[in-house]
This record gives sequence, structure tokens and C-alpha cells, in this order.
Amino acid sequence: MKKYSYFTLAGFIILVLAFGIGTVLASPEPAPEQQASVLHPNFALLDADGVNVLESNNAVSTMQTCGQCHDTEFIASHAFHSDLGLTDYTASKDSWDASTGTFGQWNPLTYRYLTQNGDERLDLSTAEWLMLNGDRVVGGGPATTSRTDAPLADVKVSKENPETSILKNGSPTAWDWDASGTMEMNCFLCHLETPNTAARADAIRAGEFGNANTATLLGLNIVSDSADGWAWNAEAFSEAGELKSETLGIQDPTNSNCATCHGEVHPSTEEPLTFNACDLNYPQTATTGQVISSQRINESGVNLAGKDNLDRSWDIHAERQLKCTDCHYALNNPAHVSEAQSSNPEHLIYDPRSLEINEYLQRPDHNFARGQSAQFNAAPEYKGTMRRCENCHDYNKGHADWLPYVQTHIDAVACETCHIPQMYAPAIQTYDWTVITKDGGAVKSCRGVEGSPNSVTSLVTGYEPVLLNRTNIDGKTLLAPYNLITSFYWVYDDANGNKRPVRLADLEAAYLDNGNYAADIVAAFDGNNDGKLSNSELVIENSAQEEAVKSKLLALGLNNPRMEGMAQPYSINHNVTRGEDALNDCKACHNEGSRISQPIKLAANAPVMPAFDAENNVNGTGEIVTGADGALYYQPMPANDDMYVFGSSRVSWIDWLGALMFAGSLLGVIGHGTLRFVSSRKQAKGQVRTERVYMYEPYRRFWHWLQTSSIVILLFTGLIIHRPDIFGAFSFRGVVTVHNVVAVILVLNAALSLFYHITTDRIREFIPHPYGFFDDAIVQAKYYVNGIFKGEGHPFEKIPTSRMNPIQKATYFAILNVLLPLQIITGALMWSVQKFPQFANALGGLPFLAPFHSLVAWTFGTFIVVHVYMTTTGATPLEAMRGMVTGWEEVEVHEEQG
Amino acid sequence: MKNRFPSWTLGLLGILLLILVPVLYYLPRAQSKNNPAAHIPTKAVHVDHKDIVKGEFKTGQDVTRACLECHEDAAAQLMKTTHWTWESKAFDVPWREDDVTIGKANQINNFCIGSQGNENKCMSCHAGYGWEQGRETQQANPENVDCLACHADPASYGKGLFGNPAESVDLLAAAQSVRAVTRENCGKCHFDGGGGNGVKHGDLDESLYFPDQNLDVHMGGDLNMQCTDCHVTKDHQILGRMLADNYTIDPQEQVSCEQCHVNQKHEDERINTHLASVACQTCHIPAIALEDPTKVTWDWSQAGQEGREDDHFTYLKIKGEFTYDKNFAPTYLWFNGNNEYRYILGDPIGADGVTYINKPAGSIEDQNAKIFPFKVHIAKQPYDVKNNYLLQPVTSGKDGFWTTFDWNSAFELAAPITGLAYSGEYGFTETYMYWTTTHMVQPAKDALQCDSCHGDSGRMDWAALGYPGDPIEWGGR
Repeated sequence: MKKYSYFTLAGFIILVLAFGIGTVLASPEPAPEQQASVLHPNFALLDADGVNVLESNNAVSTMQTCGQCHDTEFIASHAFHSDLGLTDYTASKDSWDASTGTFGQWNPLTYRYLTQNGDERLDLSTAEWLMLNGDRVVGGGPATTSRTDAPLADVKVSKENPETSILKNGSPTAWDWDASGTMEMNCFLCHLETPNTAARADAIRAGEFGNANTATLLGLNIVSDSADGWAWNAEAFSEAGELKSETLGIQDPTNSNCATCHGEVHPSTEEPLTFNACDLNYPQTATTGQVISSQRINESGVNLAGKDNLDRSWDIHAERQLKCTDCHYALNNPAHVSEAQSSNPEHLIYDPRSLEINEYLQRPDHNFARGQSAQFNAAPEYKGTMRRCENCHDYNKGHADWLPYVQTHIDAVACETCHIPQMYAPAIQTYDWTVITKDGGAVKSCRGVEGSPNSVTSLVTGYEPVLLNRTNIDGKTLLAPYNLITSFYWVYDDANGNKRPVRLADLEAAYLDNGNYAADIVAAFDGNNDGKLSNSELVIENSAQEEAVKSKLLALGLNNPRMEGMAQPYSINHNVTRGEDALNDCKACHNEGSRISQPIKLAANAPVMPAFDAENNVNGTGEIVTGADGALYYQPMPANDDMYVFGSSRVSWIDWLGALMFAGSLLGVIGHGTLRFVSSRKQAKGQVRTERVYMYEPYRRFWHWLQTSSIVILLFTGLIIHRPDIFGAFSFRGVVTVHNVVAVILVLNAALSLFYHITTDRIREFIPHPYGFFDDAIVQAKYYVNGIFKGEGHPFEKIPTSRMNPIQKATYFAILNVLLPLQIITGALMWSVQKFPQFANALGGLPFLAPFHSLVAWTFGTFIVVHVYMTTTGATPLEAMRGMVTGWEEVEVHEEQG
Repeated sequence: MKNRFPSWTLGLLGILLLILVPVLYYLPRAQSKNNPAAHIPTKAVHVDHKDIVKGEFKTGQDVTRACLECHEDAAAQLMKTTHWTWESKAFDVPWREDDVTIGKANQINNFCIGSQGNENKCMSCHAGYGWEQGRETQQANPENVDCLACHADPASYGKGLFGNPAESVDLLAAAQSVRAVTRENCGKCHFDGGGGNGVKHGDLDESLYFPDQNLDVHMGGDLNMQCTDCHVTKDHQILGRMLADNYTIDPQEQVSCEQCHVNQKHEDERINTHLASVACQTCHIPAIALEDPTKVTWDWSQAGQEGREDDHFTYLKIKGEFTYDKNFAPTYLWFNGNNEYRYILGDPIGADGVTYINKPAGSIEDQNAKIFPFKVHIAKQPYDVKNNYLLQPVTSGKDGFWTTFDWNSAFELAAPITGLAYSGEYGFTETYMYWTTTHMVQPAKDALQCDSCHGDSGRMDWAALGYPGDPIEWGGR
């Protein structure tokens, strides 16, 4: 029920009239809902020759029938659902994929290969492709037209041509399109309330393509199938020979219409939801576990682990009554015209020139707005045309009150990553075609379920999607959730030197002998020697098994047979949840075992190492690794995508170096201190005369201790941010805030203190004087390694105007001029990533800045150890510290220098 | 002791402040949790009366006298309430010249119809004794106040004819069992109103004696709330008014969710946009009569059939034919807290065949109205064909309809009591009565969700509510 159609416009007028006339009072009996369908006019059903079917008793032609008012030619030629890659179809030497669509792109799950012209062996001809896939082919495109753009019926029949033949008993036989008829784009399939999809599928599977569209009307009291062909029920037609529209229930496509081909959709009813999992008849559900339903998960009929607490709906958009067509709308639908305004001149906010509703209804573009999914590549030019999250939702408004660094997150993470945290239906994990079951299927496995996917006794656990970087049409790269499906299969080089998947027919010939496994296959695979092959034995685990199959394939004349594997990402964009059920705990990602680097299982047994499917917009920069359980996993490697995630990412050599530095200095001062303690016991006391001096005026003490507190807090909070896994008690978000606020305090304090030191000239104290500096420094160093143990006096006097010895001056010079600015700059740049990422990126971005910041932090930590120790080298161990607290310090008096 | 606080402590304090103040200012704060349970009133601790109350009691009035010795004002307080008067204050209604009062004492409902002349039976739910003395005498005497009905343990007390204690009751034991009012006390009348468990309300029935949290989130579970936790009572003045027994109700006198759920909003902004038009009850009471069925139709015209078998849920010879329903969605109407109409004895019956006993006020144009759930009870009641008004029969007693099964005599008997003349010709007409649904609030996880109301299978009749279409597409008001 699209809002702005003629039908509803008229419906609105009628309702307004009814509203005006009738009373507004509530009555206990609800009035029946107005159906949009009654507004569609009656119309004649025409056959392919344009003759009313009541006269001809022929099959109905949708192109002729709907073409009476709508421009069906335009519609059929502007519909990738119909085209399915046909117009792209180009036989290619380099790839076995001849197009971007289902017609021409090989799918390792459905396995059968649409044979190209000139291929050595015929697997799927066009006719058989249609018979196998026709349930979910709307018609038109490859169902009516040849690869060279001629009507299929006009192609010269030859059993050598995969367009006019079919594999029968292992050998190609001619296919007569005139007899089978072709299948026009089936308007009824999506525009009727209850199309008879079962009868249609029967006709298609039987190869009666010309009858498929008429079969869609069976059971609607319009037509029945008789021995003499189609029998049209005159009562369903008006006297003028026009079909009474209300018997047909014509409507805008509903979610249920889309579900016919795409996957599980459960309308909002009381009936508990159940689904067919891992079943390719419901591809979207099978490949990802996406289920479109407004029902609460805990009210569904699924035996789902932890279901009681899942009181959210399967899909928030379904719950809120959005329809598939709200986002995947017809591209020239004037209701969505604002979406097309992006090409306006800059000064123009809105361009009112758009299609009139009648123009749209005559020629509705059936290229629907679409997303950027990884595996469905038909009509790539329309990728990214649909409404995405950000077209409706303002992420700033929704996140500003709790999510720090909103823009940083949005720039790196797709909405789906957090808002589809978990799938609650099983999804396909592995399809292994290197072996086959007795009924000619792959050995399959399913994730997210314990036991067989569709058994009521199985426990559905669901699964957490893997996060992969997706490069969008606009060039942005975002982490998004995926299922990875791994398939294994045999390939061979055909007579033309083209790589092709081994035909199912050849696989069956290799494995099976009269419907049972061949003796040599049983010998190779029967691990428990019971003479039978169980599903668990059906896996190629060693080279003997591989050779056994290979030799049989060779014997079938297949050149260079070998196994290949492919891990394919399947996009997850539905089953969205609201914020409260979304991933909203910082530590889900900012921690050890981050969601971002969480691996996903590919296959329990891998006959061959699979490759990551490169033919899509997903970056497979992770690694495929064998886990401790022997299974194959995909391990995302965020570092390979230049991602640095606080709390999760770390550069281990930096941490090791820093820790070594810190521990070394700690050991050093402990050793030095022990020696001092031991030697001091041998010395007589009171050799050096001391005097109480007012060393530090209040401001100096104040800025020193403020800086001390800031640095200690920064080091500690920084450590928590770096390793949240060992400080579980702290809130990540809170600690980040404290770190940032205290960093600002430190910078302000440093700036004010610098101002003070410059204006009071005291800056001089900190500047090492080049003249005699090295000599003096050596003198001071000698004191520390020698004199200090003998109870000698300090070589340089500590007086209020010159409190620092040469080594101190050099140290502070380095800290204040190098380390502190570096730390402030790297820290500020890291913070600025949320607003001005260009600055940070110019300097290598977070992957460089963050480890660098850590390294300098380690240096500061080390400095504190040494600094605190050095304060104990005053007149008495605690004297210097007391000086910094009270201002008064007992210092040595050097009369000879004074 | 000049240096008791050395000057450096000041500096330390300064540093601490300099760090703590900005940190605390910027630190993300957890939203302060709104705890509605904190608003449940705390009540005085009850004193056990076992050793205080001494006999000997021969009549209910004897007990009351004993109570009044200590609780001197109690009777006077109670006598101001509708629990005593069974009659509202006077209302100026537009369809009558004189002010009217409404209550069980003088008006009718569409269950057992009316109490006038039926006091021997009906008054078993009145908080007073002595209705055999006639209304005026009964009402004037404070000693007729029945303290035990609300304060005794119901296990040791029960009421019989004319509001007097049932004959088998041990009055001393009952009097010694007195305590603060519990759900059982209120439930005795309010759960069983209309002649049996769950008959009237749909949201109040005996399942609430020991409710599960999923049945009633307030009365069930750990909170185990009592009626008086919401119907806050001071000096025997109980908060809350029954819609059917009033014409307009001052919001100050009504119980509301906001008493405890103060400024509480939903996390979901989209839900909050509903609050101006949808009452809390609408979403949070998704279905009524969850466990025990409630009566939804009552056809008096079928009463009195000879030889038809009685069945509690479908037919009783004395009462006629009924239907009960269980666990069903309420009916939704705009409601501003008042009645648009309340049938007053003598009013003409509805012209279109339906007479409203009460009709909630509100419409889509009324900004004070919200969509609110109701239980609708539809009855067929007797009316005077010539005088065109509803008739109230005398049903109980030896000459009542329940004994004679003669409608004519039942109406003639009632005429002098109600003051409504009976022409001698009666018929039956449909009467509607609306009951607010406000108890049996279920846990949030069971509240209605979007598609419960919106979309093809939604439960709202948008056209009837005055919307041009589903507001999810057509926009709200």
C-alpha cells in the first residue's frame, strides 16, 4: 500500500467523505478496512496475440494484459529482478562468471553451472537453469530472451547450443522453446495478494514455461486447468469480458510478496513464527539468518536458547510497519523524489519537477533502490541507491547523549554492526561439494543451531556475525556484519583451457554407482569399515581420498581436476534492533577479545584451504587459521585495515620496551638505594653542615604537585584504556573522560607554569648552560656513582635561585621540551580524530599515534621512578620531599663556593 | 597550635578541587533511576486487636459500638463516603432540569439492574448493617457502620441479608481479627460484583487474591501491592472514583499511574510521542480477564424459562442468558475521565435501539482525552413500552421476580419504590455499559508493541476513533 498511488489517493477521498458523513463515534464492531485493490479497474485478460482469453482460451500474457494501461515494455526493460544479469552477459576467458547476476554468475551453493556457449561439457542449459531456479525468477529477461538479445523462440535449435538444449541422461538433447513456451515477466507474482506460487513452480519445473504465468492465477476462481488447456471462468469476468478486479486483489507488493523469493517473512499475526533455516529456497534467511518479522522473539515458535529474555521484535522496522518497498522503492516513484535531489544545483534545496502520478503509474521503474550487498551483484549501477539508515535517522541526535566520539565511530563502523549484534536464526556455514551425498547434494553445515537446522528438537543458538570492512560506493570503508559461507568444490580445465566447476553429473558419476557409493569410493572413505559411508565420513581428509576421487574424475575425461574453496561474505542488514538491545557497551569492542577481532568458524573440516572471495566490496584482510579444535576460522586483523581500537589494539614491542625501561629503572634505583643504605651505616653522621632554606615559594609547590597528580592520574587512566581487560572494575567511558579532562588540566598547568617561569626569569634555572656543562655533568655523575656512598657533600649547591644540578637541568630540559610536548601533541591529535581526523591522519593516524603515545607514557612512568628516588638523595632521604611540601628544606651549605 | 592546619594543606585542597571539580563535571553520569516503588505510601503499623477486643457481641451494631469507643471519628468519616451513601454528589447534567445523584442506591446498571427494593440481597456488599430499617433510618445511625466488612479477616466474617452479618459468623472472633484493609477485604465486593467472580470489571476478579507477576505487575510479584497503595486512604476517604457511578470526576479524586510513575518516560522516544494520545493502560493492559472469565453480555429477556437447565456461565433461570469471555483485548475509546452520559432513572431509552447506561466522554478533538481501554458489557434490559424508559424490577424477596418469575408484578412492586410508573407493558432493549480497564497491569515486556495497533492486523479501529486511517501512515492528532 504505497502512500502516494492513485489508488490510495482515491481511497483517501472516499475515506474523507465517509468520515464527514458518518459519525465519529466509536462502535464496538470494527469497520472492515478499505482495500486498495478495489480501486484497480476491471480489465481484459489478453493472450500473447492480444485476444481476450475468454475467446481464445489461451494462456494469459502479462505483457499484453497489463500493457493495456502500463508500459510493460518499459517495465520489463527497467527491472533487474527480470534481467538477472542477462544484459551484462559476456562470456569471459578469465572467469567462469559471465555476468553480474544470477544468470551467469556461478554460485557455489546452488552449484550447477550455467554453461557458456562453446564449453566442453553441458551442465545447465538456459532451459534447465530456468527449471531449477524458476521458482524465484520473475520472468522476462533470460526467461524470454537469448544471450544475444533475440527472443528465445527465434534461436536456431541445436543441441550443441546451451540455449537450445538440455542435459538428458548425461547427453545434450535439443530443447524446443516453441513447445515449452517462454515466461514473460510475471506481474501477478508481486502484485496479487495471493498468487499461486506453488502451481506456478510446478509448471516451471515441468518445463512448461508458457503456462507459468497463467498457473499463478489457479485457485483464484478465475481459471482452471483442463484437459483441453485453460478453462476461464466467465463468472469472474464482467459482461464486457473484463476481469472483475476485486477477484484478483491487485495491490502494491507487500513483504509477503517479496518473501516468496527472498526469505522468511512473518506478518504480524498471533501465530508463532517458525522458519525454514539453511534452506536455499529462503536464501536471505539461509545465508545470513535474517528473518523479517514484527513478532517478539520470545513469542515465536523457535526453540531458541535464552529466548525468555528476548522480548524485542525480530526486526524493529517490521514492528514499526515499514515495508520492503519503503527502502527498496521504485526509483522513479514521485513519493521518493527527494532522494533524487542530490544532483540539484547547490542553491536549490528542492526541485518540484517530478513525475506526475499518472506518468509514474504508466511507466514505473522496476529497478528498485538497492543496497550494496556482497553477493548480489546484478545491476551494480544501482548499488547504494536505497535509503540507508542515515537517510532516515540522525545518528548525532540518537547517540550524542551517551556515545563519545560519535563521528569517529560513525566513520569507522556501519550502523548494522551495533544494531544487529546477534542473529537469532541459523545460517549456512559450509557447503562441501568435494564430496556428494547419495541424493546428489553437498555435505552441509549450519551455524547457530545444535542439531539439524529444521528439527523441532534442535536448539537454535543464533550466532554473532563477523565484522568485516566494506568499501561503499562512496569510497567510505566501514565495519559491517557478515556471515561467511565457505564452499569447497572440484574444478577442472576444459578443452578450451577454461576453468570450470566439475559438473554435478560428473561428480555423481565419480562417486555413485547405480545410486550407491562406488566400491572404490567406499574403500577410500569408510573410516570405520562398516561398508557404508556416513555423513561424517564424507569428507576428503587425506591425499589417498583426494587421489581416489581425482583418478575417477580423470577417468571421466576431466583435465587437471583439483579442489578449491571459497569463503564468501553475505551481508547482514535486516533484523535491526533499537539502541537498548544494540551493542552499547564500550568494552564489547574496546577490550581484549574485542567484537572487532572476533573470529568466525568457517568449516569443521577443510579438504583444501579456501580463499577469501575477492569479487565483492568486502576486504578480506584477515587470516584464515586453523583453531585449536582443528576447525578452520576466519580471524579478522583490524591492524591490516589500519584500524587502531583502544583497549583492543596494541603494539607488543612498544609495551615490552616500555615495561623493560620501567622495570630497569626500578631495579636501578633499588640497587643504588640499597648500596647507599649499606654504605651510610658505615659513615659517621653529620659530616656535612646543613641549613634550613626557604627553597620553594607556594606557586612552585602548587604547580609541581598539581602536575604530579595529573601525571599519575594520566598514567593510570591511560593504562586502563590500554588494557581494560586487567581493570574490569572501571567504566571504559568514564576512564576516557577522566583521562581527557586531566590532560587538559595538565596542559593548562604547564602553560601557566611556563608563563610564570618566563615572566619571573626563573626559566633560566631550567636551561643548561653550555659552557662547562659536560664537565659539571661528569662531576655530578661521579658523585652519584661514587661520592654519594662515601657521604660526600653534593658537588653543586642547592640554593633557591639555582636549585638544580647539571644532570637535573638536562633531564628537565628533555622532558619539558621533548617528551611533554610530544605527549601533548599526540594526545591532542588522538582526541581530535573525532572532529579533525585529517590532522591525525596526516601523521599516520591512530595506528601510529596511539602506540607512540604509549611509548612516551612509559618514559614518563620511568621518569617518575627515578625522580622520586632522586628526591631521597637530599640532606636526609625525606628532606627534599618535605621541601616541596612546606617550602623549607634543609640543604647542605657549601661555604667555599658561597 | 598555629600550625594545626599547615599552609600546604590549603594547596593540597586546591589541587584536589582543581582536578576533582572538572572531572566530576564531565564524568558521564548514569541516568538517575526512577524508582516508582519509592512512592508507595508507608502505612501505620497495625496493632493486633486480639487482646484488645472483648465481647460480648450479639449484633453487628454491638461491634461497631465497641470500635467507636476508641475510633471515635471513624463512623462519621465513613458516613461521608460513597461506600456508605451509595450515591454520588449532585451533578448538573444537561439532559435533566434538576441536579441528579448517581449510585447503586438510586440508579441502575446493566447487571442486576437496581438495588431499590432489593436491599435484602444487594446490601450484602454495603458497608453497613440494618437495611431492614429502611434507607433513611439505616443511613442516619452511625452504629450501622460495618467496620468488619473492610477490617475483619474475610475468613472469619461474611454478610447476609440487609447488610447484617451472616448468621453463622462468630462476631467476637471477627472483631478480634481486625487489621489494615487487604485485597481480600476489597475483593469480597469488588472482585465478585454483579453476582459472582469477575462478572463486572474484567480487570478485577478473584485471580487477584494471589496474582502472579505476569497477571498484575503491581499486586503480584515482590511488590504485592494492596488496593490502598494506590487508592490512598486518609480518614476513611478513599482515593478513586468509579466511572459508572459518577458523571464527571475531578482528576484530584482519581487514582493515576503518575502517583508513583512520576515523570517516568520510556527509553524509546517513539513511544513517548504516543503519551499525549494514549493512556498508560492502553499498552500496559494488553488483555483483560486473563485468568477468570468476565461477563460480556447478559440477556434478561431469556430469564424465567421453565425447564431450561441452569449453567453458571451461560444461563440461569433467575437472570437469563449470558456470555463470558476470557483473555481478550479491551475496546478502545477516547476518554477524558468523565462520562458523556449516564442513564438516570426515567430517562428515555435510546432512539436507535441502544441505551447507554454510561458512555465515556472524549473524542479525537478533545485534547484532554486519550485512547483508553474499556470492557463493554451489553445487556438486554426491561423497559416500559409506553413510557419509553428502563424499568427496575424487584427481583429478590418472596414477591420478587426470582421467586414469581412474573415481570409484571416485579415492575408493579417496584413502581412505588422507584417512583417510576409502570404502564403494564414491558419490552427488552439493548443497554451498553462501559467499564474502565485499569487493573491487571502487566509487565513491560508484555506491553503492546507497534504492530499490535498499527498495520493490517492491528487491534485499533482507527475509523471509529476518528482517524482518517492508521496514524502510522496518516499521522496522529
